[in-house]
Amino acid sequence: MSTLAEIGIERHGGTVVARLAGEVDMTNAAHVREQLLDAVPNDALALVVDLGDCRYLDSAAIEVIFDLSRRLQRRRQELRLVVPDSSPLGRVLVLTDVNSVAPVHPSLEAALAQ
Amino acid sequence: MRAGFGLPEGVVGGVIDTRRDQLPGYALDHPGPVVVEDFRKEVRFDPTPVQRELGVVSALAVQIRADDRQVGGIAVHSRTRQEFSAKDGHFLQALANVLGAAIERARHEEEVRDSEARFRELADTAPALMWMTDAEGDVTFVNEGWLRFTGRELSEDLGDTFGSSAHPDDRDDLLERWRDAFARRTEFRFEYRLMHRSGEHRWVLEVGVPRFSGGEFVGYVGTATDIHERKAMEDALRKSEASFRDLADNAPVMIWTTDERGLVTFVNAGWLAYTGTTLQDELGDTWTFGVHPEDAGTVVSAWHETLARRGLWEREYRLRAKGGDYRWISERGIPRHEGGSFVGYVGTAIDIHDRKTMESQLREVYEREHTIAETLQRSLLPERLPRIEGLEIAARYLPAGRGAAIGGDWYDALERPDGRVALVVGDVVGHGLRAAAIMGQLRNAFRAYGLAENSPAEVMARVNRLVMTGEEDVMATALYLVLDRETGEVQFSSAGHPPPLVLSDSGTSFLEGARSVPIGAVDPGVFREASATLPADASLLLYTDGLVERRDEPLERRLDALAEAAGRAPGGLEGLCDAVLAGVIGQSMPGDDVALLAVRPRPVASESIRFTLPAEPESLPGLRRRLARFLHAAGADDAETYEITLTVCEAAGNAIEHAYGPGDATFDVEARLDASELVATVSDRGNWRERRGAHRGRGLNIIEGLMDRVEVSTEQEGTVVRMRRRLGASRAA
Repeated sequence: MSTLAEIGIERHGGTVVARLAGEVDMTNAAHVREQLLDAVPNDALALVVDLGDCRYLDSAAIEVIFDLSRRLQRRRQELRLVVPDSSPLGRVLVLTDVNSVAPVHPSLEAALAQ
Repeated sequence: MRAGFGLPEGVVGGVIDTRRDQLPGYALDHPGPVVVEDFRKEVRFDPTPVQRELGVVSALAVQIRADDRQVGGIAVHSRTRQEFSAKDGHFLQALANVLGAAIERARHEEEVRDSEARFRELADTAPALMWMTDAEGDVTFVNEGWLRFTGRELSEDLGDTFGSSAHPDDRDDLLERWRDAFARRTEFRFEYRLMHRSGEHRWVLEVGVPRFSGGEFVGYVGTATDIHERKAMEDALRKSEASFRDLADNAPVMIWTTDERGLVTFVNAGWLAYTGTTLQDELGDTWTFGVHPEDAGTVVSAWHETLARRGLWEREYRLRAKGGDYRWISERGIPRHEGGSFVGYVGTAIDIHDRKTMESQLREVYEREHTIAETLQRSLLPERLPRIEGLEIAARYLPAGRGAAIGGDWYDALERPDGRVALVVGDVVGHGLRAAAIMGQLRNAFRAYGLAENSPAEVMARVNRLVMTGEEDVMATALYLVLDRETGEVQFSSAGHPPPLVLSDSGTSFLEGARSVPIGAVDPGVFREASATLPADASLLLYTDGLVERRDEPLERRLDALAEAAGRAPGGLEGLCDAVLAGVIGQSMPGDDVALLAVRPRPVASESIRFTLPAEPESLPGLRRRLARFLHAAGADDAETYEITLTVCEAAGNAIEHAYGPGDATFDVEARLDASELVATVSDRGNWRERRGAHRGRGLNIIEGLMDRVEVSTEQEGTVVRMRRRLGASRAA
C-alpha cells in the first residue's frame, strides 16, 4: 500500500496502459516497480506508462524506468512514456537520458498510435 | 491470552522483568516508538532472556498509555533483520492507543459500578426512607428504612406502585404532582399521609430528584421524612392554645412560639433537649446565637423579612445542638391571628441532619459519573491542535448546558505523508461515559486509517467496518475531509453529518455532496466522496450538529443562521469561531455538545526556511511539501519548483543513505533567496559518497544538471552541499 502514488491499469488491445499518478521517490520506488511489472502479462506487446498526473520522480524512480525497460526488452516488450508538454518532469527526463531506453510521447493517443 | 503459538512454555502469563537495561523496561520509560534494528549492535539495553531464546534480531516497541500514564507496552519482534519505518511506529502506536482507550474505559466503568453498589449500601444503612424509580417511573428500589416504616415486603413495593401506600384522600393529588414533576424532570416535593406498619397513616414529606446517568435521564431518587408530629401540632394549635402546650411538651419534635415582634415566648421540651439549654436561655431573640455562623446572616435577615410581611416561614439551616455540634434542621413557622390581628408565630423544627448528609452523598454519587465522563472526554480530545505548517487552525469545544450530558463529539487534524491535511469532526450518538469512550476509539481509528488511505470514502468504509465488527452497538456521524494546502483542492465524505462551510471574499457556501450513511448503520456501508476546489482566500469551518440542530427550528433555517453569522465574522479564525458560537447559539447553553474546527491555508512567504529532519526516507515527502510552498511563495513556476525540490531531495537522499545507523541521525536543510537567486544547503554528519548501485552517478548528474552552481565540501563535522540557481531564468531566456 502506497499513499504517495496511485497506479491505474487499462488494457488497449495488445498494449497495457499504466496511469501513474502522484509521486515516486526512494520510499515507494520498489513497490511501484513491482506493481508495474505485475501489470504486464507475457502476451502483451507494450507497456505505456502515462506520467500525465505524475508530479514528482526522483533518481530512484528514474532507475525504475531503466530497470523496467531492460526487463521488458528481454521479454520482447516495448516501454513507452507519456509526458505532456506541460509536465514539469520534461527537463529531468532529458537530462537523465530516459528517452534512450523509452520513447517519450506528448499524449496517450500519440503513444498508442505507435 | 492463555496460550501463544510458537512461544516457549511459560512465556504467556509469565512476568516480564521491567529492569531498565532490557527492552520492556526501557520502552516503558521512553515515550515514542523504540526501534531496535539489530540487538547485536544495540547499546541502550539488552534483549530479555525470552527474546534471546527466540533469536529476536529486530524489534519495535511502544507504550500503552491510559489516564495519562503508561500502563504497559506492546512490541513487535522479528527473527530476521527488519528496518521499521516511522510509519510502522505510528501504526503500532495507534494500536496501542486503541488498547489504552479500552483500558481507560474499563477502569472508569468499574468506578461507576462501584458507586452504584455504594449507593445501595449507603441507602440501606440510612435512617431515612428512600426509593428509586427507573425512567418509566416504575419503582426499582426501596431501602430497608422504607420497608420498616410501611411493614411491606420488597416485592410488594417494586414496579408500578408509586403512590400505592398513600392515604386514599391524598393519593390523587400526590399522583398529579408526581406526574407533573416527572414529565418536566424537575424536583418533586409533596406532603401526604403514608401508610404506616401500625395501620395508621403518618404525614411524610417526600422529596424526589431526577437522576441522570451520563446525561441520560434514568429515573428519580427520593426520600420521605416523617413530619407527622409537626402536622399534628399545627392541627392542635388550630384547636386551642392550652391543648397545644400540653401536646407540644410531649411531642418528639421541636416547637416554638413568638409574639408579634418576633421574640420567642415559648420553646418545648423537645427544643431544649436538642439545644441542651434552659427555657430562660431561649426566650427573646437569643435563638439566633445558635445558628451556624455561615448561615446566620441570611437566616436572620430572611426571618425579619418574613416577619415584616407576616408570611410563611420555611427554612433549612444549621443549629447548634447539645455538645456543640451543628446539625441541619428544617423549620416551619405559621403566622397566628387572634380576632383578626397578628399575634406572632408558631413553629416546628425537625432534625434533618441525616437526610441532609444522605442528600449530599447521593449528589456526589450521581455527579461522579458525569465528572468521569467529562474527564474522559477531555483526555481524549487533542489537548493542543497540531502545528501544521502552512495552515492556520482554530477549534472550540462547548459542552452541553447543565443537567444535560457529556456527548461524544470530537475534532482532529493531522498531516498526511503526502503533505495533504486530513480534518475530521464527528459525533457519537448517545451521551455519557460510553459515548466518550467510543469517541476515543473512533478518533484513533480515523487517525490510523487517515494516514494509510488516500480516499476519504475508503477511510469511512474502513472505520465503518471496524465499528461493525466490534461487539458494541455504535452509531456516529462524521465528516472526513482531505485538504491540499497548495492547490486548495478538497476531497471529502460525509457520514450523515451536516456540510462544512466555506468562507471567502466572494461569500459563504456549504460543501454539499458525498452524503452517506452514518457510521455503524449498515455493513458494508456505501460511502461516497466528492471533491471541490476552495478559493485562494478561503476558510473552512467544520462543526457538529449541536451547533445547528434544534427541535423548534428546521435545519435549513439553522444553516442559514450559521452562514449569516460566519459571513459577518471579523477576520481571523479565532474571531470566526467566537462569532459563529455567539451568532448561532447566543448566550444560552447549547442543548447538545458543540465541536468547531476552522482552518485556512496560509501562504508562506518568508526569506528563508530551515529544518532539521530525521535521516530517514520518510522525511522526504514532508520536506518536498515545505520546499514547494516556500518556492511557490517565492514566485517559482511548477517546473522550477519540481527541479529545485528534486535536487535538494537528491542531496538529502545521500545524507540519509550515509547517516550513521537508524534513530538519532539527522540532517539539516536550509533554503533562502539571495536577490532572485535561490540558495539551498543540505548538511549532514557523515561522509559524502556517491550512492552505490546501478544508478551510480544519476543523483549527482541531476544535481549538477539542474543547478547553476554546486559545491560539495567535506568538513570535519560532516558533508555540506551548497547549491544555487537563478529563478525565472527559463522564462527570461
